[in-house]
Amino acid sequence: MAEVDPITVSVVQHRLIGIVEEMGEAMLRTAFSQILNSSRDFSTAILGAEGQLVAQAEHIPVHVGALPSGVAAVREAFGEDIHAGDVFLLNDPYFGGSHLPDLTVFVPVFVDGRTVFWAVNRAHHSDVGGATYGGYNASATEIWHEGLRVPPLKLYERGERRGDVLRMLKANVRHPRDFEGDLSAQIGSVHLAERRLGALVTELGVDVVTDSMARILDAAEAEVRRIVSAWKDGTYRGVAYLDDDGRGHDDIAIRATVTVNGSGLTVDLSESAPEVASFLNSSYANMRSGVAMALAFLCDPGVAKNDGAMRPVRIVAREGTIVWSKPGAPVAMSTSHCAQEIIEAVVGALSSACPDRAMAGWGRRLRIALKGENPRTGRPFIWHMFHARPGAGASPGGDGWHGAGEWHSAGGLKFGSVEEAEVRFPLFFRRHEFRPNSGGRGRFAGGAGVDLELEVETDRPCVANTAGDGARHGARGTAGGEDGAPHRYLLREPGKRSRVLGSKVEGIPVAPRSRFIVHSAGGGGWGDPALRDPGAATRDRREGFVTGPRIERGARR
Amino acid sequence: VSEYRIAVDVGGTFTDVAAIGADGRLSYAKAPSTPENQATGVLDGLARLAERLDLSLPALLSRTGRIVHGMTVATNALIERKVAKVGLLTTAGHRDVLEMREGLKPERYDLRLPRPGPLVPRDLRLGVSERLRADGRVETPLDARSVERAVRRLARARVGAIAVCYLHAYRDPSHERATRQVIERLYPGVYVSLSSEVLPQIKEYQRVATTVVNAYVGPLIERYLRSLEDALARQGFDGPLLVMLSHGGVAPVAEAARIAAGTVLSGPAGGVAGARHIARLMGTRDVIALDMGGTSTDISLVLDGEAALSSTRAIAHEPVALPSLDIITLGAGGGSLGRAGEGGLLRVGPESAGAVPGPAAYGQGGRLATVTDASVVLGYLDPGAFLGGRRKLDAGAAQAALASLGASLGVDAVAAAEGVHRVVNTHMAEGIRLATVRRGVDPRRFALLGFGGAAGLHATALARALEIGRVVVPSVASVLSAWGMLASELRFEAIRTHIGETDSLDLEALEAIFAEMEVAGRTRMGQWFDGEIECRRSADMRYGEQIFEIDVALEGLELSAPGARTALKAVFEARHRALYTYALEDQAPVLVNARVATVGRLDGSPGSPAADASSPASRAPGRVGPAPPRRRIYLGGWLEAPVHDFSTLSSGAAIEGPAIIESDTTTVLLRAPDRARVTGQGWLDIEVGADD
Repeated sequence: MAEVDPITVSVVQHRLIGIVEEMGEAMLRTAFSQILNSSRDFSTAILGAEGQLVAQAEHIPVHVGALPSGVAAVREAFGEDIHAGDVFLLNDPYFGGSHLPDLTVFVPVFVDGRTVFWAVNRAHHSDVGGATYGGYNASATEIWHEGLRVPPLKLYERGERRGDVLRMLKANVRHPRDFEGDLSAQIGSVHLAERRLGALVTELGVDVVTDSMARILDAAEAEVRRIVSAWKDGTYRGVAYLDDDGRGHDDIAIRATVTVNGSGLTVDLSESAPEVASFLNSSYANMRSGVAMALAFLCDPGVAKNDGAMRPVRIVAREGTIVWSKPGAPVAMSTSHCAQEIIEAVVGALSSACPDRAMAGWGRRLRIALKGENPRTGRPFIWHMFHARPGAGASPGGDGWHGAGEWHSAGGLKFGSVEEAEVRFPLFFRRHEFRPNSGGRGRFAGGAGVDLELEVETDRPCVANTAGDGARHGARGTAGGEDGAPHRYLLREPGKRSRVLGSKVEGIPVAPRSRFIVHSAGGGGWGDPALRDPGAATRDRREGFVTGPRIERGARR
Repeated sequence: VSEYRIAVDVGGTFTDVAAIGADGRLSYAKAPSTPENQATGVLDGLARLAERLDLSLPALLSRTGRIVHGMTVATNALIERKVAKVGLLTTAGHRDVLEMREGLKPERYDLRLPRPGPLVPRDLRLGVSERLRADGRVETPLDARSVERAVRRLARARVGAIAVCYLHAYRDPSHERATRQVIERLYPGVYVSLSSEVLPQIKEYQRVATTVVNAYVGPLIERYLRSLEDALARQGFDGPLLVMLSHGGVAPVAEAARIAAGTVLSGPAGGVAGARHIARLMGTRDVIALDMGGTSTDISLVLDGEAALSSTRAIAHEPVALPSLDIITLGAGGGSLGRAGEGGLLRVGPESAGAVPGPAAYGQGGRLATVTDASVVLGYLDPGAFLGGRRKLDAGAAQAALASLGASLGVDAVAAAEGVHRVVNTHMAEGIRLATVRRGVDPRRFALLGFGGAAGLHATALARALEIGRVVVPSVASVLSAWGMLASELRFEAIRTHIGETDSLDLEALEAIFAEMEVAGRTRMGQWFDGEIECRRSADMRYGEQIFEIDVALEGLELSAPGARTALKAVFEARHRALYTYALEDQAPVLVNARVATVGRLDGSPGSPAADASSPASRAPGRVGPAPPRRRIYLGGWLEAPVHDFSTLSSGAAIEGPAIIESDTTTVLLRAPDRARVTGQGWLDIEVGADD
């Protein structure tokens, strides 16, 4: 094959990125559910024939690096039985998926009788059946409690939709109409990619395009290698702890031993804790995604998010641990936790190898879902809390962003308007302001978390679930910076004393007029607090981010 | 005696002035912009225009009926952050809405991105004891003492403006109005911006951010416009000074100063207004306007004859949720730098050589290859005739820059130059495609309108990549904005939140809200305008579970007529289908906001500007002129192409590609199967061939 010139390669790369972005726009405009059309919890990508990720739109970071396992699972399941016009679907974490709510649609793009690309769309559905509404079941002890498992299957066979399969899927979810609408949006977006990729191949020729894809991956690899080779060689250890597994076991460790050797990295997670009996376990693909996110955050922001960037990284892990559980273990929470602890352990390990790049930890996710009856309409309601976002970690670039959320979404998840929430739900927001003294101290301070005081204005009792982590462990400080304050969630029922809520509890009874008092976690600090610029320290107090007596103390780490 | 109508458009480099005489004749002049006080450049431009018309400035101004003004005062203030401090009063317990930014942070993978300071720092954001409920009932009455305490603190901090934004104030403005009275009593003279006046709509982040931008730029805009008005009056002008607003309409000074946040797109709005007017004259309804400059390219859409509006604009990262022209900016222009990225791939932009040092060919010390340098190497730009010879280009420097880039890619200078063009064109074509797809339209049915100095060299290539068949390049590209402003309508936009599902909505109350807004709009416009005033109703609607509303026109819909609920549901469904391909007939949509646009049609739109003495249309038709000189250009191989002088082409002239057409503001490149025809207005109407 003739060597394709660097200019054509660049043109092909722009075109491929244009296509995945256009897929994302089409998805955004046609999806039914709010989690997709406003929170954009989906991703669109183009992979090569062997499943190597070539281009991915920048939506939610946690999907980066997880898709190649999906194509591998489809190819393994169907072998030669893959044809033009087929559409594949899966969600099973043990067959190429991440967690059950993420349904992934694949279309093989054929040129002259052979697969040249895979167009892929992964999207978080609002419900996939299972024991509780909404996919996060803190009581689950096995994956069958979490929803419907879909191993790789054909949704379309040579262009014909398989109505029987679709009916079976719809029968197993709580909102079949939304499910079908969102699934149709996913299929529309991969078909759009198929057309656009066809035009690209017609214009430039299949060899030029495939050769360009190889060069695009090589270029990303070269860029990552250039960055990594500036890091100090050595073996580094990092550890992050989950609060608990919700089943009585505390301080579950995710351990990363990272070896920097020239331009390559080995990330060894095999010393992590054994798998647990709750939804914190991770599939292999989701674990790989955690490593890919850590690498993306440490490298330059412009590095292409493709498989070439992952080539310098070798991952070592052991099946049966929390980062790679055995088939059957529940995993629903894993895209947040333990994915975020994998990032924290890897970044923590590398903070000695590239101190000018490593940032402090971001706050963890701790959801509240509230179910009850709206007295104004007489209709049932379910409300998911996205307010009270935790703080972002500080970095060598400066202070952390206040209330920018969790590490796995990195400022990409929007919370809705308080006014809208009060119009639509029987809720009254008494207070929603930054939480003082929550960001970890440091030369650069962690971003503040948020205080929320929320009154439930129903006539009848409601039920709440919590799901998440970080009520004991705060976001990790780095380079001498202190940890951020952990979450503290309380419930005060009328006439009773407020009580602290656990982070993994299902079925909490909530009396009318109760108040949730949420203090969300701050981000970790970076650098020795004693070195904080005096002007910035004065501003922290003037602006009320730091209050109380001045305590001079050294860094904890 | 109002013989002339004048438009003044302040750009980054030049202030363009255009006048239309009673006979429809167009004249224009240019003066350097004066960023410190834009009024100086405006008066210089007017003086030069007067000179061209053989009049003194007072003589010209005394014969001028109105002046329309596009400016960048508000935009520059937001970018440079040089304005006096602003204070913000909010509902107690909710003072951080502005800085929370809905939880969003830009640049997803840049976790070392420094956190920007908000327009109002936290110590100047003060909570006040008051609270409305979602249904408008008072939960906590306004505590006058708490307001007084807060205002005194802001007065001590010597803020230059105070923004007030309370929760649910769109339901009832009385707490905000009472607060203003306290401010006026305790801190007289300070500029006050109330959310219930600036943007009385639900969603506190958009409302507070817009109210704060309004407070931030308000005092400045007010001072600037008043002083310009005075200066013009001193020179004998007694007509109205109309300000171009972000939504593409114009309004008098008092109105523009009141909602100053509505002027942040005043500058670029003129270009869009020009594009809209050209679309009308061309008899085409759908146009993509491409304004390609040195560092960036602005894209806007004219859909069905109207410029698309959006309420999700951000200027310098500060959201302004007022209806604004939907202008999309791509980081690619003539000054974009080409470089070899990792793995030896060619990258172009988003870094730019800027005005200084500029492209290597400018000879100001730039050594890196830009898109403009590539155009020199490929022969598209004539080093001696760039911008009508006003700027000499150093071909050797361009050659050296491209040779150096080529060396790092393993190719020669010409291949590198061609590569820079291919890459930047691909980048822009994908950007245009996304911009159209995002708005639910297919780019192929549009015509591409190229203006801005650099557009002419790229427009045909972009059209080809997007399968667009028609490109139009106007001869008066540089004064297009000024000229478009003359075609703009007077326009006030009003909005009020009124929430309800179509099957249970209080239609009587909604009708009352619409009627009230219409009366207010007519009254305010009627105070100084005696022409025909029209009110257009629309609504922001969505399905219950959605977050984003869509704008639904309600013209001709009688809310008091039987069947109004069904009709309201039907117009929403039709719009939803057009945008998103589906509608959910079994769901009642929710109406969120009522909107009224009050429009006053100004007489004497510029019509067809077949007028300036030097315009091609005034010459004998069908003539291409004497045999044009030829120049070697590179289009996949070197060839000799004719170089036409745009100013000597007469209407009806036809030119086949490959060819170059030069004017003193732009250079147009035609490829092999392209065919250009000179229109009656003196524009190039290019039929884009299918292949190279």
